[in-house]
Parts: sequence; C-alpha cells; structure tokens
Amino acid sequence: MNPFVEYCQSQLALRVAEAPSQEASRHSAWARFENVGWPTTRLEAWKYTSLAGLEKITPPTESFAELTWDFLKDHALLPDAKHRMVFIDGVFHEGLSRLDRLPQGVRIGPWSLLQDAERSDLVPRLMPAQTMTAFGALNEALFTDGAVIQVSGGAHLDEPLLLLHVTRGMHHGVQYVHLGENSEMTVVEQHLNLTDLPCHGNFATAIQLSPHSRLTWIKVQQGGAQSYHTAAVHAQQQQGSQLRYFPFALSGAMGRNDITIRLVETHAEVILKGVYQVADRSLQDFHTSIEHDCPECISDECFKGVLDGTGRAVFDGRVRVALDAQKTQSRQSNHNLLLSDKAEVDTKPQLEIFADDVKCSHGTTVGQLDETQWFYLRSRGVDKEVARTLLIKAFVKEIAEAVPHVEVRQALLHWLGTEEEEGFRHV
Amino acid sequence: MLSIDNLQASVADKPILRGISLEIKAGEVHAIMGPNGSGKSTLSNVLAGRENVRVTGGKVTYRGKDLLAMEVEERAREGVFLAFQYPVEIPGVGNVYLLKAALNAQRKHRGLPELDAMDFLALVKDKMKLMEMNESMLYRAVNEGFSGGEKKRNEILQMAVLEPHLSILDETDSGLDIDALKIVANGVNSLRSPERSMILVTHYQRLLDYIQPDFVHVLAGGRIVRSGGPELAHELEREGYAWIGDAQSQTVAAQ
Repeated sequence: MNPFVEYCQSQLALRVAEAPSQEASRHSAWARFENVGWPTTRLEAWKYTSLAGLEKITPPTESFAELTWDFLKDHALLPDAKHRMVFIDGVFHEGLSRLDRLPQGVRIGPWSLLQDAERSDLVPRLMPAQTMTAFGALNEALFTDGAVIQVSGGAHLDEPLLLLHVTRGMHHGVQYVHLGENSEMTVVEQHLNLTDLPCHGNFATAIQLSPHSRLTWIKVQQGGAQSYHTAAVHAQQQQGSQLRYFPFALSGAMGRNDITIRLVETHAEVILKGVYQVADRSLQDFHTSIEHDCPECISDECFKGVLDGTGRAVFDGRVRVALDAQKTQSRQSNHNLLLSDKAEVDTKPQLEIFADDVKCSHGTTVGQLDETQWFYLRSRGVDKEVARTLLIKAFVKEIAEAVPHVEVRQALLHWLGTEEEEGFRHV
Repeated sequence: MLSIDNLQASVADKPILRGISLEIKAGEVHAIMGPNGSGKSTLSNVLAGRENVRVTGGKVTYRGKDLLAMEVEERAREGVFLAFQYPVEIPGVGNVYLLKAALNAQRKHRGLPELDAMDFLALVKDKMKLMEMNESMLYRAVNEGFSGGEKKRNEILQMAVLEPHLSILDETDSGLDIDALKIVANGVNSLRSPERSMILVTHYQRLLDYIQPDFVHVLAGGRIVRSGGPELAHELEREGYAWIGDAQSQTVAAQ
C-alpha cells in the first residue's frame, strides 16, 4: 500500500466514526476501491498518466491561517458573486459563503446540513459519478461534504453560482445538480490550493438535466507545484436540455478529469469546450465520453492545449453514437500547441458510430508557434516575450470566448491575458 | 539614414546577397527592382531582421547605429518599418490591439508617455480615413479574412500610425487592382517628408507611376547591377530584365 492509500484508509475510519449510519456504504465503496486497485500505467485509461507523484504524498502538517473573503476574493473568478459556496479543505464554510439571496425555486446548500433521509435519497444519484474509476470509489468512501443544487421546474438562477474549493490537504468532495424542467442556471466551479505544499482534491459531480433545462458550467483548476486534482463528472440529459461545460485546467502538478455525458432523450445538446495548459513537471489529462443514446442530439466538443517545458497532456475523447441515434450531429476537435521539444501530448479521439444517418467529424492537430506570426508582431515593435504570449493567448482565446456569460468570459479573458483588447471594444 | 556596405547573406546556406552597397539619405525614396530570385525580398528581410536569413558579411548602419546588431523589435522601435509582401494573418489578435501595442512600444522606447485609448483611437481613425478603410477592420483579427487589397492597406495604415524613419515596402503593389494601388500610393506619398526615407522593392514599374522614386537600382544575382534616376524604371519596363545576363557578366569581368 502506498502512502497515499494508507492515508486514505486512515480517513475511512474517521468518516465512519463521524457518521456511523454511513458505515455500510462507505465500507462497501472502499471494498470496491480495493477491488479496482490503484491505477497504474498498465491500464489503458492510465497509460500516459503516471500517479507516481500522487502516491507518495501525505497531507502537510502545517496549520493554515484562517481565510477571509477579503483575501479569497482576489483569487476568485467572480469576486462579487451574488451567490457563492466556499469549501475549505473539503468542508463547507458558512461564514465565507453567501446563499441568502436565492430566488424562489432554487435550493442550494451543503451536503453536511442535509437530513439523513435526504442523504439516503441522494446517495444513489451520486453513484454514476462515483462508479467510473478508482477515484470514484475513493470519493464515495471518503467524501466529507459537497454542494447540493436543486432547481425547480421553470426556475432561473439570476446570476452565476460560484463554487469555490480551497484544498490545502487531501480531500474528497461531491457536487449534485438537478435542474427541473425548463429551468436554467450558471455555475462557476473554481479550485485553488494557494500553497506549494502537497495536496489533493478528488471530486465527483453528478448532473441531471430535465427536459428543456439549460445548465452552463465553467470549471477552473489552479494549483501549486504539488497540487493534484482528480475529478469525475457524469451528466445525464433529457429531451431538449442543453449543457455547456467549459473546463479550464490552468495549473497544478497533475489533473485528471473524467467527463461522461449521456444524451438519453432526443434533441439534447451539449457543448464541451476546454483548455489545458502545462509547463515543467506538470500533467493534465482529460478523458471525455459523449454518449448519443437517442436520435437528433447534438454534441460539440473542442479542447485546446498549450504545452511548455517538460509538460505533458492527455486527451482521450470518446464519442459513441448508438444504433438508433439517427440524425446525430457530433463534432470533436483537439488542438495542441507545443512550445518546447520536451513537451508531449497523447491525443486519442475515439468515434464509435453504430447509426448510419449521422453527421460526425473529428480532428486533431499538434503544432508549434508560428514563426512568421511571431516575426510579424516583433517587426511592429512588440517585445519578443509579449509577442509569444500574445500568440499563445490567441490560440486558446476562442474557447474562453465561447463562454456565454459576459462577466465570466471577461474574467477568463483577463486571466488569459487579453483583457486589454476586450476593454477596447467599450471605448 | 541608411548605409549598406558590401552586404552578403544566405538563406538555408545558399548565398542570396553577394555584396550589396547602398547609401540612402534622409528624405530619399529608392526603388529596388529586379527579376524574381534576384534577392529583393531577402534584402528587405535582412533589414527587418528576419531570422531565417543569415548575414555572412558586410555591415548596415542605420542612423549611426549597427542595424544588424539590433533585435527585430528594437529595429522597429528605432523607426524601421517593413511592409510585408504577404502580410501575416493572426487569428485571435485584434488589429487595434497590435496597433496600440506597436505604437506604445515605440513611444516607450523613445521616452514618450503611452497614449491612452481615447487619444489612440482618434489617431488611428484619422489615419484610416486616409487609407479609406472601414473602422470595423480595427476590431477584426490581424489580417484575418482580409482581401489582398485590404491586407496591403492595413500595412500602410500601420506605417502611417508608426511614422517610421525608414520604410521598406516589399512588393506592396503585388495583388492590387488599380483603385487599391492608388489608395496605397496616396497613403505612402502622404508620408513622404525630408526626414523620412523609403525603399520600394518592386518587380514592376507600375507602382512607380504613383510613387516617384529619387533613385532606381536594379538587383540581379544578389548584386546591384545598375543604378540611375526614375528614367531607369521606364527603360526596364520597355526592355524587361533580359539584358541583365550581359550586365552581370560585365560586372563579374570588371571585378
């Protein structure tokens, strides 16, 4: 057993002691984890993603200063978010959160404050996000808290909800979202660790979209030199529902996202567009799976990667179109910008199409910075490094620009360093 | 302004410029003509600092400084401007952003305060009128989806905004219809001044009908084989470049 798993096992006993009623389910999840085993590069799903770094870490023994919103807001994607939930080291922090202005029909709260009966009801609904991988089983066995979001039919959350997770130790969290018929909301999920000490966050998110509901979800991962992040998302979309999911893996030692989207009724649409960027000794891994189970659904997927130094990335994009999913429209692309000879990307599109009347496309590119463009900018007096950054930003900007919410888009563009140009448009 | 002394340069280890000497004084407009493959574009690229061209000999002095020792961006900030033969499309970088970054980089270099957005836009819009460009082009990505004529006009717009001391116009007339050519020439002419020098690199005499040069040089086989006044361009237009073979062998013989 490696130090990471040993630590996890010590946590299992604590979790059970806290809530004896959950003993059976946590133990059975742990048994499932042991059965699946610690992922190694011998497994196809982990072939290019070594966990050698993660398996050695244990949480830091330092005690951390109390966080204030004044401090956090400088790091938050939406510093003025009207609605926000803050989780510190895996636990909901009521003082830093703000949920007192929710409109009617929108119920948002932490898992830890739910009644037992409600938890029992929700446990099976989280399952799809927890069954996929070894980390899913660990999550089910060890999760401490999470966000539970329920929007009634026709309700509409006026402004985005910020879910801010600050992870400085080793924690497991859940997120559950259910949108009722024809309801709508935007979620901004942000992960920070704010230290260079070892830490690991492991999250499971289950999303259920009722007919004609619309969910926009922006996820941003930022971490220090020893920050590890693993996450699984499982979304199930009913008729005519719309999901727009934008993950941005910006920093950290390692990130692994398993994203599964099932289009189970007709006319459901999903847009899945993300960015990963890696530099020396860091890795980001996206495994996505879009499942067209029904006719006339649309999926539009695009991931862009920027790889510098000895950075590595993995993109594994599966699209499955079931036999009776006729009139499916599916697009997938993955574009990578390699800034160094030592960077590496392993990209693997997988299309499994069983229906015959479909429009499906996919494409992958791996390229370098365009020397001619670089020269052109420099020949106008733009500094060498500034020109390089400008071209990198230009490459990924398209994804940020697809984010429909203005304030979030501006904040992302700001982080991608191109805000000045945006600002210009308002002169 | 610019003094080129026995300049030699190679591209991919192939010698292209074989000893070029040229003196350009402030206020002068020099046309460099010559057949394809004579080294015209290589000369433009060397002066702008393109890294795929390797200088193997000679020197270039620009306003008293060693031009070849300067980084690309430094040359630009010192007032050297290359209007590209094939302006580069840069998706994701706004035209207005590039213009402002370029102008402010130059102003900073010269110890001037940076222009704020308002003053900058006023300046650019003024120059756009001269180039008969639609303001919407400011908010498009650099040259992306521009027609050939729009790209060339955009080059001259940048030149008008940056007000360089030395402009090198590399085949600016290529791909332009007559109306666009007039607009471009008008833009270039408006920038002529006693302090500003220009090098017009061109294959055809056509551009010189609209921008009258002070001197014309014929480049062939990486050397200047003839120099003269504007009348030389007309001669070339009449007689083509076929005589160059003889001229080249004469030059070689003379050496």
